[in-house]
Parts: sequence; C-alpha cells; structure tokens
Amino acid sequence: MPRSLARDALGLGLRTRHYRELAEPWPELDYFEIISENFLSDAEGPRYHLDRVRERYPIVLHGVGLNLLGPAPPTNDYLDRIAALAELVDAPFVTDHLCWTGAQGVSHHDLLPVPHVPELVELAAARARHVQQHLGRPFGVENLSSYVEYTASSMTEWDFYAGVVERAGCWFMLDINNIYVSSQNHRFLPADYLARIDFSRVLQAHIAGHTREPSGIIVDTHDHPVADPVWQLYAGAFRQQPFPTLLEWDDHIPPLAEAVAELRRALAVRA
Amino acid sequence: MTWPSSPEWLLELQSRFGELLRTPLDRSSGRLRAGTEGYRPALVQAARAGATLSSAERLAVYHRQYWFRLFSVLQGLYPLTSRLVGYWHFNAFAAHHVLQRPPRGFDIDTIGDDFELSLVQQLTENATVVTDAQHRIEASAVLDAARVDAAFHRVTRAPRREPLRPGPADAERFQDSCLRLSDSVALVQERWPLCELRLSFVEQQSDEAVQLAERWPEPRHWLLARHASKLGLLALEPREAELFGLLQRLPLERALGELEAAAPTEERARLPERAQAWLARSVRLGIWAAFVPPQK
Repeated sequence: MPRSLARDALGLGLRTRHYRELAEPWPELDYFEIISENFLSDAEGPRYHLDRVRERYPIVLHGVGLNLLGPAPPTNDYLDRIAALAELVDAPFVTDHLCWTGAQGVSHHDLLPVPHVPELVELAAARARHVQQHLGRPFGVENLSSYVEYTASSMTEWDFYAGVVERAGCWFMLDINNIYVSSQNHRFLPADYLARIDFSRVLQAHIAGHTREPSGIIVDTHDHPVADPVWQLYAGAFRQQPFPTLLEWDDHIPPLAEAVAELRRALAVRA
Repeated sequence: MTWPSSPEWLLELQSRFGELLRTPLDRSSGRLRAGTEGYRPALVQAARAGATLSSAERLAVYHRQYWFRLFSVLQGLYPLTSRLVGYWHFNAFAAHHVLQRPPRGFDIDTIGDDFELSLVQQLTENATVVTDAQHRIEASAVLDAARVDAAFHRVTRAPRREPLRPGPADAERFQDSCLRLSDSVALVQERWPLCELRLSFVEQQSDEAVQLAERWPEPRHWLLARHASKLGLLALEPREAELFGLLQRLPLERALGELEAAAPTEERARLPERAQAWLARSVRLGIWAAFVPPQK
C-alpha cells in the first residue's frame, strides 16, 4: 500500500532551477511533486537529484505525457516506466491531465481540450480506469485551463470532469488556478465548478500564477505568484474538505525560499 | 483490459488541430505571428468564439504555444548557439529542424538530439551568418557552437554506467579491439573559445547575447565529462585528443602507429612515453566504456 500524505500537506513542484538550493537547511515542506517525464529516462543527472530529495520528502508524480484522450494508447513501456518510477519513490499517488497531447505520432507537448460530450466521458473513464489498474495506486486526473471551447460540447466542463472521475473510480487532481483561468476565458462561475466536486475524492489541489494577455485571454503560464482571486477560490474549496496543496512555478521561477513563502501563504488564506 | 478506441470524429478533429499546430509561424512581419487566415474553416467552426476573441484567435493561442515551447526548449539546450546568433535567427533554424523532425514521445528534450546536424544542413561552413545584433559571423563558428552545445546535451543526458577499468588480463584485448568512449564524456574541438563559455551557462540564469571572441590560432581540444550531476572540462593536448580519436576506431598498436606517422619528427621520440601517460590518465578518469571490435 503506497504511503499517503496528510490532508493539509503543503508541497512544491520540484524544478531544476532549485536543485542547487536544495541543501541544509532543507525547506519546510511536506512533500515534492515531480514531472514524471523528467525522470523516466536513465539519465544520471535528474536521478541524482531525485535521490537526494526522496531521502527527505515524500514525492508524488505528475505527468504531462499520458495523452489520455489521444488517438493512440500509451505504450506499455511508458506506463511501465511511470509505474516503476512511482514504485521507486513510493509515490502516494500519480496524476496526469484530462486532455490529449499528441496526434499522428507527433507529441505537441501541450494540454489540449476535447469537446465535453457524454461519449468522451465514457472513453476517458475507461482509459483512466485502465491507467489506475496498471499503476496499482491512486490515479488523479487534472482539469485543464483552456483557451478554446468546442461548439460540439453538450455538457459543462465540471459535469464532464466529475463524470469521468465518478465512472472511472479514479480521483480529482483539482487545479484551482485552472478553474479560475478557464472561468475567465469562457465566462462561467467558478463556484458552479467547485459545487460539482466531491472533495472526498480530491487527491491534491494545484495552485499557480497566470498571465492576462493584452487580448484579455488568460494564459496558464505558472510564472507569477498566485493571484488573489485564485487564493479566494482555494480558501473556499479547502474549507469544504482539506486536501494536499501543491504550488507549481514553471517560468520566471523565484529562489526556493520565495517559492516556499508563496506556498505557505496557503496557511493564512485558509485559516 | 484494453484501451478503448477514440471515435472517428475525435480523430478527425485532432488530426486537423495537430496540423494547425505544426504549421510554422509567419515571420514575414518581422515578428512571429500565427497566420490565422490560413486556418481550415472546419476547425475554426468547431471552436466557439468568445466575447473578446474569435475562435481562430483562440486556436492561435495553442498554435503559438506549440512553437514557442519548442523554441524555448531548443534555446535552453543550445544556449551558446542561440545567444551567439540571437533568438530571432536561432528560431528560424529551430523551426526548420522541428518541421523536419517533429517531437515524438514523452521526452521533449529529445528535440535537441539532432539539432546540430540540422544546422549542418542549413549552413555552409564557409558562409557567414548575420546575427540579431547585425554582426556578421562565420558559419563555422555557429556550427562549432552547436557541436559544443550538442556535446553538453548528450553528456548531460547520459545514463550512469561503470567505466571500463582494464587490467593486466586485458592486454590482449588492446591488440584486437578498439575502445568505445563513455556516454558521459565527449571529446570536443573548438576553433573559438566556446567550451568554457558554455560551461559558465550551466551556472547562470541569464539569456543575454554573447559575442564571439577571437578565433584561436590553432584549434583547442577538451574532454567534457560529467560526474554525478556536475560537468567539467579538461584541456587535452592536440596529440592526446588525436590518440583518443584513433583508439575509437583502431586497436592500440595501430592507433599508436598512425599517431606517430602523423607527428612531426621532433615529437616522435617522446611520443610512446607520452601516449602511455595519456592512456593511463584516460583510464583513471574513466572515459572508456568498453572494448569493441575495430571499425571496418
């Protein structure tokens, strides 16, 4: 049985920018999250740092390459590597996104949306169930931030997302920033989204910063501190039922102490 | 349990979307622009317009992201090359490379694997390249920079393997085998001072432009090696680098013979002794991975 995280745990996404700062005194964090694909090869460098970190902190896996709703199934090699990595770090859980990332043999390395229709709820649920069985540990699917909606959609994103989790028997990897970003881009109320979430099935929540472009669209850039409206949403969600909280920062990454301080704002926000 | 198939309509949608993403950004205006006017109507109609942006403009967000993500990864893997020519020109080389070799698989960094070969196809050794700063630099300097970046890329990504530690019992193998260099080291030749500059980037976060220093009177040789997560450079004598190159395709005795034949007369007397020392040091440093059959 994989270990578990405390429901109020605070974690940070492990980034190469912080490798050199990760030393005594080690930061006051409950866990780290790694991007799975950065550690799937047998390159020595990433493994060296992973070993240093996993000696001291629990580690959870967050993938960006599963291509859950893509045209082709993931190779067994890919799933086996994810499973082996999860085993190596004894990950409490593994997560990836409710999206497609590639087609026609090309990986677009982006998290692309699909139309929200019942047919794809069934498809995504069946595939997520398969992944969870293969991994042998809890698997969470993350809601996207998106810039496009499809005319073919016949249901809300939150009904789509919740439907997949319910039918798959998997878990929510709830990204609060993504809810906010999409709510602004597609004009819906984030409260409606959160009302559909069964918080007893939230493995973890992500918080992050974003950028509003001159056109008005908000892009999920992970290059700023968490915006106030996102903190407000986060506080409301956490009060429903606590969950482990993870700060993602992927561009213009500040020094480690600054990132940890930003994460620890969660303690005040949710008090 | 099987992986259920996608419906045809979704495959069709993803095929069109993927095609759009992989269409190069337009450079004609002097900045990189998503050419929304060329988007296929069927895909544009499948996307919903919003209050402030049309459906095509919404698709363009993903279009730009695809290219800028790959440009950014290549700039990160080839910092010397990109900062030497400037990002505008570098991105043009990168776009050509990505079109020829779009990313496949889960590891985005593999996009850098053959980039220096792509530059060889795109540049003529004796030509000049105009940089973003409007400097004119020799194409061979850009290619050298790309080779240096590529060596760092390969060495950084190499798995950990136990090096070859030949002992007395291996004496015979030196007679009929050559040596394979470890993946965690690279032999690099430079005609401009590039390697030490590149090593400094490992420690920096800066992306400022760099200017090419004066060309060396003679090429210099380096051993780039990784230990755990750290990279280091060791200067090699030209003859030493030549020996290491020969040992990768010839058994020891023949390699020494060729080395001696190529050396000026005044160097020959001391060459066997020096070669012995270089070889001993290379084994101590663990730069060899295995004995392998000589190349035909």
